[in-house]
This record gives sequence, C-alpha cells and structure tokens, in this order.
Amino acid sequence: MDDRGKGSGCAGARTRPSRPADDRMSVSADWSWQRVALAGARDALSLPAWIVGFGLVGIGSLAHDVGYPVGSAVLSTILVWAGPSQVLFFASIAAGAAWSAIAIAIAFASLRFLPMTVAILPLLRRPGQSVWLQLLLSHYVAVTAWTEGLRRLPPIPLRQRVPYFLGFANACMTVSALGTFAGYYLLGTLPLPFAAGLLCLTPIFFLVSLTAGLRHRGDVAALVLGLVLAPLCERFIGGGFDLIVAGLIAGTVAVFVGKRRKAA
Amino acid sequence: MTQPIAWLDGPHWPYLALILFAVLPTEIWRWLAVAFARGLDADSALLDWVRAVATALLAGIVAKLVVSPPGVLAQVPVLVRVAALAAAVAVMALSRRRMMLAVLMAEAVLIGGVWLFGAI
Repeated sequence: MDDRGKGSGCAGARTRPSRPADDRMSVSADWSWQRVALAGARDALSLPAWIVGFGLVGIGSLAHDVGYPVGSAVLSTILVWAGPSQVLFFASIAAGAAWSAIAIAIAFASLRFLPMTVAILPLLRRPGQSVWLQLLLSHYVAVTAWTEGLRRLPPIPLRQRVPYFLGFANACMTVSALGTFAGYYLLGTLPLPFAAGLLCLTPIFFLVSLTAGLRHRGDVAALVLGLVLAPLCERFIGGGFDLIVAGLIAGTVAVFVGKRRKAA
Repeated sequence: MTQPIAWLDGPHWPYLALILFAVLPTEIWRWLAVAFARGLDADSALLDWVRAVATALLAGIVAKLVVSPPGVLAQVPVLVRVAALAAAVAVMALSRRRMMLAVLMAEAVLIGGVWLFGAI
C-alpha cells in the first residue's frame, strides 16, 4: 500500500523535476471546462492527492479504535475535510472528552479556515457567481487545495479557475475517501514504524506544502513564528485559545517583517 | 470513551455526532469566510495579513501535531519526530522544492529513527 503511493509520487516527481516546471501553465485558454476540470484532476493525481490520501489513512484507524462504523470515518473525510479536526474528533472520543469540549476544540482548531478561505475565494470569484457556488467552493478549502490553489490559480484564466479547482479538489477528496476506507481495515495490522509513519504524514505534508508556497520573507517569518509560538502558547495559555493567539501574533509580526523588506 | 447522549442514541449516533460535533464546528468558518470575502480585492493589504495569519495557523497545527501527536505516533521519540520535519525542510531548501523527495526523506528519517532508537 505504502509502495503504491511512493511509486505514483515518484512518477509525479519525474515529470515535474523542479519548481519552475511546476509553475508552468497547466491549462490552455481555449479548453472547454470539462478538459480544464480533467487537467485539475490530473495535476492533483500527479502527487498532492496521494499525499492527502495517505495522510488520512490514519483517520480510518482512529475511527476503528473507538468502534465507530467505517461509514462515519469515510463521511468525516468527505464532510469535515480537515485532517486535524478529524484527528481531534476520534482521538477525543477515545480519550473520553465531553461532547461540548470536543466541539469547542474542533471549532478553535478550524478557525484557520476563515482566513484561508477569505484569502483564496477572491481568486475564484467572477461577477454574477452565486452564493451557493461559493459555499460549495469554500467546502474544499483545506491545506492542499489552499497552498496549491494560491500557487496554481493566478496564471489560469479567470473563467477556467472554478472547474480547475473543483477537478483538483474532488480528485484529492476521492483518493482520500478511499485512503480512509483502507485505513479503517488495514492500519491496525501494520507494524508500528509504518503506522507511525502514516500518522506523521499529515504534519510532514502540511509543512512541505507550506514550504512550497513561500514567496517572500514575510511568508517565511509567518511559518517560522507559527512553528515556534504554537507550542509556547499551548504551554502558557492553553484552554483552546492558544493556537489562534499564536497565529494572530505570528501573522501580524510576519506582515511587518515582509513590509520592511519591501520598503528597504 | 465518550458515551453517546442518551436521548439521541441509536444506530445513527456516530453519524449524528460527526455532523454536530465535527462537521458544524469546522464548516462554520468556511461559510463565514464566504460572507467576509465578498467585495475583498485579491491583492489588498488586508488579504496579505489574512494570508500570513493562515500560514502561521497551519504552521502552528504542524508544531502541535509533532509536540502532542495522536495515536501510535506518540510512541515515537520526540527527537525523531522533529528530525523528520527538519529533514523535510532541508530537502525543500536544497532540492529546488521537490515535494515528493522531501516527503519521502522525512518518512525515511521517521521510520528509520523508530527502527534505530525503538518506540517509547
């Protein structure tokens, strides 16, 4: 199972040897929306979809551990579509937390979707677009679609961005639903190093995606400060507020670091 | 184990719990964002700040998952977990951002580290 993901990923790495090649136009302006959506799906399957998919294999095993049905694990991937929220949900049930505490912890951990979605929607917006379409688009916002979208959408013609984004995100979601399903039955049978390796794929992939999207000094500052401040705030603030406090401080300082660089 | 809420319990409880306590608290922020994003310009200064906060929040999630990890990952020594992430960043910096190589290197460090140093 692990080999399959690595194999396909290596194929992706071969066809996209470096970042400049990665940033080339992946669609042509005269393509129909179906072809653009397929191009989005193809770009997702070249690597990102497999990593999210393997990253969510662990969710299946966490759901299995608390005796919840496989359907709830797969639905959590499709409807929640946020690894940390899903980890919190099943791991908190295993730990015996109160339902209210679980919901509050997930709400705080998911606050990041507010700035993330606000940042990406203007790239996808067109005049006359319905609110329902925007709500649908917002559901797919998670680390992969966000970091990859901010990087890949700007060079794409405006009217092709929505089909590209939906093709990309749905390919990621389909692979991930299959990964969660497989993890429900398989992960318990894996030796510890591999089970731990699959669970660690989520933070590794988050960090690699963030690193791939860095554009200037301000981005680097946000990343480094976030990494350092979150555990410090967890230690000294706690109570669920720690992550958002760390994010606000780190993000605000990072904007000033980026600004000073621009002025200099 | 958290027990189901008695008067809502039944065969559909896991799905109901998922909707109420996981889907809603996550999805609400995406919906609110749709309202906030209306009329925002794609390259305004406010969005620069929003993007920086989002980047820092994601980095914070990474740090939290490594410092207090879920499931069997907690049995991996913390130094091995940190070394795996450091390896990913190093490969990204040195290989012109080859993502697959970075992920594979991090996984190799993690799995190799567990083999070398054992689990806790």
